[in-house]
Amino acid sequence: MDKTVRFAFTFIFIILMSVSVQAQSFDFERLEKEFVRYSVIIDMNIEYSFGIHNNEQSERYLGTVVSEDGLVMFNGTSLSSENSIAAMTGVNVKSSAKSITVTFFDGKEYTADFIGADRFTNIGFLRLNSDDEKFPFIKFRSGNNLKVGDWVSLYMLMPEFINPQYSADIGMVSSIIETPENFHLIVGFNALQMTSVIFDGNLNPIGVLGRLNDPSQSTIDPSGMLDSFNSFGMPLLGIITADRLEKMIADPPQKGKSDRGWLGITLQALTKEMAEFWRLDLEGGIIVNDIVNNSPAFKSGLQVGDILYKVNDQPVTVSKEEEISIFQRKIAEMGPGASVEFSVIRNNEELIDSLKLIAVLEDSPMTATDAPEYDNTELEFKAREMVFADFLFNNLDDETFTGVVVSELKSGGLAQIEGLEIGDIIQRVGDATIENIDDLETVLTEAYDDKQDEIIFFIWRNQKTLFVNIKTEW
Amino acid sequence: MRKIVLSICLFLFPGLLYATPAIQNEIYQARENVMPALVHIQPVIKNFQTGEMEKQAVIGSGVIFHPDGYVVTNYHVAGKAERIICTLNDKEIVPATYIGGDPMTDISVIQLDLENYTGKIHIAEFGDSDSVQVGQYVMAMGSPLSLSRSISLGVISTKDRYFSSDVRLPSGERTGRYNLWLQTDAAINPGNSGGPLVDLNGKIVGINSRAQMFANNIGFAIPINIVKRVANEVIKNGKVTRSWIGLHCQPMQDLEGYFGTNRNSGVLISSIDADSPAEHAFLKAGDIVLKVNDTPVSARFVEELPLFYNMIAQYAPGTSIALEVKRNNEVFNFNVVTKKLGDLQGEDFECKDWGFTVKAITKQMQIDNQLEDTVGVYVVGVKNIGAGDGGGLRRRDVIKKVNETEIVEFTDFTSSYNQMVLEKKEKILLTINRGGATRYVLLDISDIEGMKTDG
Repeated sequence: MDKTVRFAFTFIFIILMSVSVQAQSFDFERLEKEFVRYSVIIDMNIEYSFGIHNNEQSERYLGTVVSEDGLVMFNGTSLSSENSIAAMTGVNVKSSAKSITVTFFDGKEYTADFIGADRFTNIGFLRLNSDDEKFPFIKFRSGNNLKVGDWVSLYMLMPEFINPQYSADIGMVSSIIETPENFHLIVGFNALQMTSVIFDGNLNPIGVLGRLNDPSQSTIDPSGMLDSFNSFGMPLLGIITADRLEKMIADPPQKGKSDRGWLGITLQALTKEMAEFWRLDLEGGIIVNDIVNNSPAFKSGLQVGDILYKVNDQPVTVSKEEEISIFQRKIAEMGPGASVEFSVIRNNEELIDSLKLIAVLEDSPMTATDAPEYDNTELEFKAREMVFADFLFNNLDDETFTGVVVSELKSGGLAQIEGLEIGDIIQRVGDATIENIDDLETVLTEAYDDKQDEIIFFIWRNQKTLFVNIKTEW
Repeated sequence: MRKIVLSICLFLFPGLLYATPAIQNEIYQARENVMPALVHIQPVIKNFQTGEMEKQAVIGSGVIFHPDGYVVTNYHVAGKAERIICTLNDKEIVPATYIGGDPMTDISVIQLDLENYTGKIHIAEFGDSDSVQVGQYVMAMGSPLSLSRSISLGVISTKDRYFSSDVRLPSGERTGRYNLWLQTDAAINPGNSGGPLVDLNGKIVGINSRAQMFANNIGFAIPINIVKRVANEVIKNGKVTRSWIGLHCQPMQDLEGYFGTNRNSGVLISSIDADSPAEHAFLKAGDIVLKVNDTPVSARFVEELPLFYNMIAQYAPGTSIALEVKRNNEVFNFNVVTKKLGDLQGEDFECKDWGFTVKAITKQMQIDNQLEDTVGVYVVGVKNIGAGDGGGLRRRDVIKKVNETEIVEFTDFTSSYNQMVLEKKEKILLTINRGGATRYVLLDISDIEGMKTDG
């Protein structure tokens, strides 16, 4: 055999050996002892509702205790409150956690309350109910120095009839992505293992399994933010790093409470071609298309047509439409209250000025899913408060228009039979103007107490108004 | 007992014996009256939906109703026709010209070009759709699935079917607000559109227009009394002029108690278009119109709405009409000056070099599409590969500016397009409005040309 060929074979053999040696070097016995201390099995019922359809499903997750006081992290994809469908179609797709039981591997059982899920990573959080008990918890190690080819491991949940109910798995760092964001891709794992803790070769917990979102797959949700709802196709899995997790653990996302900064603009990418056309020497930028009244952008003095080319002195590199969501996420993650400086080019007729404007980000507007809801069991429908997106998508003036949105109708229920539709905006009941769900509750309670034969709803539907008479059967 | 049975048999027997030939003869007779006037229509229509002007051959039916060779058909058959070829019942092919039409009632009129036709045209007679009875025999004549000179037989299933104004023609126009429909179980298939629905006296009682898909024999015809009026006006003016005040009404049924009105009294206003004469006259949703120029009106059921809408529409635009209105149990008088119900759709234009098609924005389009105003041009379609597509232009965008030229009138756009094509401008910046936001679309024509030569 030729010497070089032999050499090559030996070389390949050595590489393969070293890889397998590294893979085999995981001391799973030691890891398992660690793992079972702070890992839990979560059993919960999730109620899903899609407009008039409701169903409850039981789900099991592997969870990890992340703080002494019983904060538990798990895959909260099913409970992520975001959905842009709600406002666009009026159909409220919702999921809520019911009856949560958390079991440690030593058999101890706790009840828990769902706190919220992070919309970017879909990591969900629960808190165990206990009397000041101190729980063993995981401590993530930040700043990994993994290289392509390094092996990592995780534990996954096994079916209920298997004991023990966990099983180890290994994967390999396959690429270190630079754009759209710094991200270690891993092969060997699958989407069912999302949010499982990832350990490096030294058994350090360095993050959890998450996915890289394709910015071109993201749609813009009603509040103008990134929507992680529709990443179809093969997920690109990798590491959600410890420093990102630590932030969430310190201040867990809360359902119904926004932790995202909001600027209040509709935006467009400054493409290379446009920059050339306008003779701007820029790598990218954001063109302001629209500004929400009284939003941070509005207050900062931004104008439609302005081009943002720097944020806090960092150049904006967005030059394609599909990169816009990266910009949106950056703004969102700065959080409400953050003060942001924009360098702006304003095309004043012939004069091109460059100016700096400061906007103080606010809470992003409430989503339809998080809006307070009123349930009327006699007429068998639910209505929720109007949110920013309702005004935006239906072209309604938020200063003059008031009402509440029909969010659920029971199939075959009185409200449905008599002609209410999901998405209808109730503006008046009888002669009473409805501005919020309390108004609706008051007037419907009164109708019930008086045993009124009929209730006349004045509603807004598809840009027109009409009356709907619900004949009661108290 | 036996006697009775026998006598019943005697009575019935001759009836059974003769019933079939009697109706058969009537069918023959009716066929003879109308069939020779039946026309198979093959228009070539212009379609702008895909971002370029595409010609499409379609099939429809029609019937000659006038000695000058006028043929009535549907608007959705001949309305956008560029050229029309007709085949008469004697199988002779005759060209025809488009005279005009009315998308609201889906009626159009074409005229046969009889110069080179040696035969003698037959004229079918219009009957009276008001006196049509449910259950009465009718025949649908036309070219179902292009099978010309076909007859199907059925009965009138109902004579006052109402479709809300949300029904649209294939070309996008709202239709049906001003008329009820005759429903029949005589088979109506694609291609029957525009053909006559004929009674056994050989008179046309309706123009077949639509059928329920995936159903068994649920077809709809426009009552001939409406067709008569529309066709006459179309021959005279090319279209039907209607007054518009911007009212939407709903039936009063079950709401009389709440509004304190008598049964069969008043028409309930449910919605009012923004910036409409009704809004300017301070009418409100919840008002009940009791009288229009002293004539009492009512609409307890949806089927009564077209009558009311027509009553308003029939006034000449600019007429001041007096509405007696009940509001909060008091009666007020409102004077509303009507406006012309303009075209439902604007003129189409193909920007061939830029790879998209546009349309002028009419007031009705503004209302339908929730546009801020009628300023600019409306993007109808964007070609898959072209400068518009490359620049990110989309359907339903409104172009407000072409480079520095503000687009106010439709001609502002067409002339700047023509000029820029003439000047061979390679980069054009469109300022557009998309859902209320201002965006910029850069058209790069050089790029597209490059692609063409590369390909």
